[in-house]
Amino acid sequence: MSLFTNLAFEAGVVARSLADYFNGGALRLGVTGLSRAGKTVFITALVDNLVNGGKLPVLRAAAEGRIARVHLEPQPDDAVPRFPYEEHVAAIAGPERRWPVSTRRVSQLRVTIEFERVGAWGGARAQSLNLDIVDYPGEWLLDLALLDKSYGEWSRETIAAARAKSRAPVACEWNGFVAGLDPAARAEEATAVKAAELFAAYLRQARDATYALSTLPPGRFLSPGDLEGSPALTFAPLPLDGAEIAAGSLAAMMERRYEAYKTHVARPFFRDHFARLDRQIVLVDLLSALNSGPAALSDLETALDAVMHAFRAGRASRLGAIFRPRIDRILFAATKADHLHHADHDRLEAALKLMTGRAIARAEGFGAAIDVVALAAVRATREAEIRHGGESLPAIVGTPEAGERIDGQVFDGAAEAAVFPGRLPDDPAAALAGEALALPEADNDWRFVRFRPPITRAGAPPPHIRLDRALQFLIGDRLA
Amino acid sequence: MIDKSPRPRAFRLDDHRVAVDDGPSPLAPMATIMTQRDPTPVERDAPLDVVEREVEAAQRAGLAKRRRFKLATIAWVGFGGLVSLAVGLWIDSLIEALFARAQSLGAIAIAFAVLLVVGAVGLLAREFVAVARQRRIAELHAALARARADDDRDAARGLVARLAALYLHRPETARARAEVEEARRAVVDGRDLVDVAERALLLPIDRKVRAEIAIAARRVSMVTAVSPRAILDLLFVAAQVVRLTRRIAELYGGRPGLFGFFALLRSIGAHLAITGGMAVGDSLVQQVVGHGVASRISARLGEGVLNGLLTARVGLSAMAVCRPAPFEVDKPPGVAEVAPFLFRKSKTE
Repeated sequence: MSLFTNLAFEAGVVARSLADYFNGGALRLGVTGLSRAGKTVFITALVDNLVNGGKLPVLRAAAEGRIARVHLEPQPDDAVPRFPYEEHVAAIAGPERRWPVSTRRVSQLRVTIEFERVGAWGGARAQSLNLDIVDYPGEWLLDLALLDKSYGEWSRETIAAARAKSRAPVACEWNGFVAGLDPAARAEEATAVKAAELFAAYLRQARDATYALSTLPPGRFLSPGDLEGSPALTFAPLPLDGAEIAAGSLAAMMERRYEAYKTHVARPFFRDHFARLDRQIVLVDLLSALNSGPAALSDLETALDAVMHAFRAGRASRLGAIFRPRIDRILFAATKADHLHHADHDRLEAALKLMTGRAIARAEGFGAAIDVVALAAVRATREAEIRHGGESLPAIVGTPEAGERIDGQVFDGAAEAAVFPGRLPDDPAAALAGEALALPEADNDWRFVRFRPPITRAGAPPPHIRLDRALQFLIGDRLA
Repeated sequence: MIDKSPRPRAFRLDDHRVAVDDGPSPLAPMATIMTQRDPTPVERDAPLDVVEREVEAAQRAGLAKRRRFKLATIAWVGFGGLVSLAVGLWIDSLIEALFARAQSLGAIAIAFAVLLVVGAVGLLAREFVAVARQRRIAELHAALARARADDDRDAARGLVARLAALYLHRPETARARAEVEEARRAVVDGRDLVDVAERALLLPIDRKVRAEIAIAARRVSMVTAVSPRAILDLLFVAAQVVRLTRRIAELYGGRPGLFGFFALLRSIGAHLAITGGMAVGDSLVQQVVGHGVASRISARLGEGVLNGLLTARVGLSAMAVCRPAPFEVDKPPGVAEVAPFLFRKSKTE
């Protein structure tokens, strides 16, 4: 970033923070997570539990009965669509019992918590806390990692990654095409379109559940939103090999478009939704990466690290809160903890701790409080014990989604099943060792199947695992 | 991959070869599925044990009491201000009168007045420091209990360092402090770290405190047994209790001044009230039997034992509320442990 754009960017952030402050200083909760980490479900469950009085025994204010009322309010940004909370609740708890479809655009919601605290004179003092939550396609998050990278750097990294052994099966078509490209050739739109198409196809395939790769910027290639087909999305990395970019060449065109992408897509997204967070929860879907293999895990680690690098963490002060909010609490959450027995939750947390080690160290250095938790915003299973062949196995019972398979069984999405997903290793490093990707089921010690949402009583929030603990960590101090 | 752990597998609940809970099942089921009703363990705040909760409640009643602005406070502030003004007026007129009599007398009076002010300010400052220090110790106690219950390593590291800092000025704790410092770097679990610190720093002090309590209890029981007048031994017991509690607070790192001592007394009183004069480890039976047997031999002797018991009880309460960390490595001692002679005497005679 040049000095000027940097200054302008900072000024924009400060202006918006000031506007926020005078609009009543809401607590901005950043729900961060790559695609399919469970952001939408988390937000839906959080709001549902708060508004409809779910059981939150660990959230102290709720346990002490100090929360008088929680309701939704019109959000502060008129230009952003509202988070379709009711739709998502209907999808999860309705007769269809399906998970919300993947998010395609940014949406926002404001939750107002009216609570009472014990005043200095001993009486009760009514207060309210506005909680602003933003939902967005997780793919876009990867763009944050691009903000500090030039086209040359990004090209080099992306092409090197595509040629790595673990990605070779996914990227062979793209690799073949890019090898025949000459960056110094004259700029032609047809070549650019073809390159962008193949590049996007490669990214899409790599994201697929069998491979479950994560480090795949730019995010709009995976989820274009309303930008489909625009020049800002018609570019691809080129093998520059350190050569100068000549004017009028293919490389020059690509570079311009890459910069346009950063200026018009990535930076506004960051400025509008992430530069001003107070609290952050990072949702990580470790289970699909575990299903795929060590390469997917280390790829997830890289992606998380790159994303967390973009955030500002650090202890908030009163004056700083006006001009330049900082994230002072970050919760790393391994989602879908209901897909394994609680005896394995500690191992899941240990694995997450290992994967986010760098991000945790950095945030701690800035003085932010950190916690790691295994949670399930909606608990789709119950626990059971299987006795089979002289073994006693800790298992979970739920309705696996149609098409999920384990141990030769294919599920139809209607029958309930008791599933023993295998045991996670005691030492999380063992799961990270190796290069393998898209491992066949037989090569892994575990297999996590996805479950449909649980059957819930009408009106009551679905059960959860440790959602209350996450809330206590994230907003508990503001309700004290 | 070496396959030691059991393979993932699944069973459909509607499979006729699978037995589910108590439902109808085939004769030789392929697998049995037992639903578990125990809830997923939620990491609540780990509960503190009863003894610890009592101690903390007692500390909150005195040592760690948060001063709220109350009407009584306002009234006292006003009253205190008026009294100080009156005293000031009196001093002023005294000095003026002395000046009127002789220049030199007035100068001497001013010198004394300066000494008075300096001394009073110093005393007041010391009181403030002492009270703040006692509160810090009580808060440290609560924080250590919390950190230990939650197994919170980061919190424990900081707290243990503060605990060691309490004894910086005591050369005999040099080794213990070094031990704690090393444990801060080496020990991984918060719980263990707190335990290490307690064992290294506090157990030696505990031994001294128990010896002090024993001495006081013995002295009180003997003096009561031989004293000619009830009022005399009452005074003696009171003096001994004051001496003992101050000594215990000092041993644990507190420096009770006047107000700090009042706060300490309030905490001890609260602790005695909450625990009903009973510490863990001794029973009412022991106390009553001790008194009963002794009193059958001689009424004075019985009273002596009773007073000794009471002194020991007060000492134990003082120990509990002054200690900067909860009793975790060792159980809190009971009367029978600190003053066994009170019971032995009654048995042997």
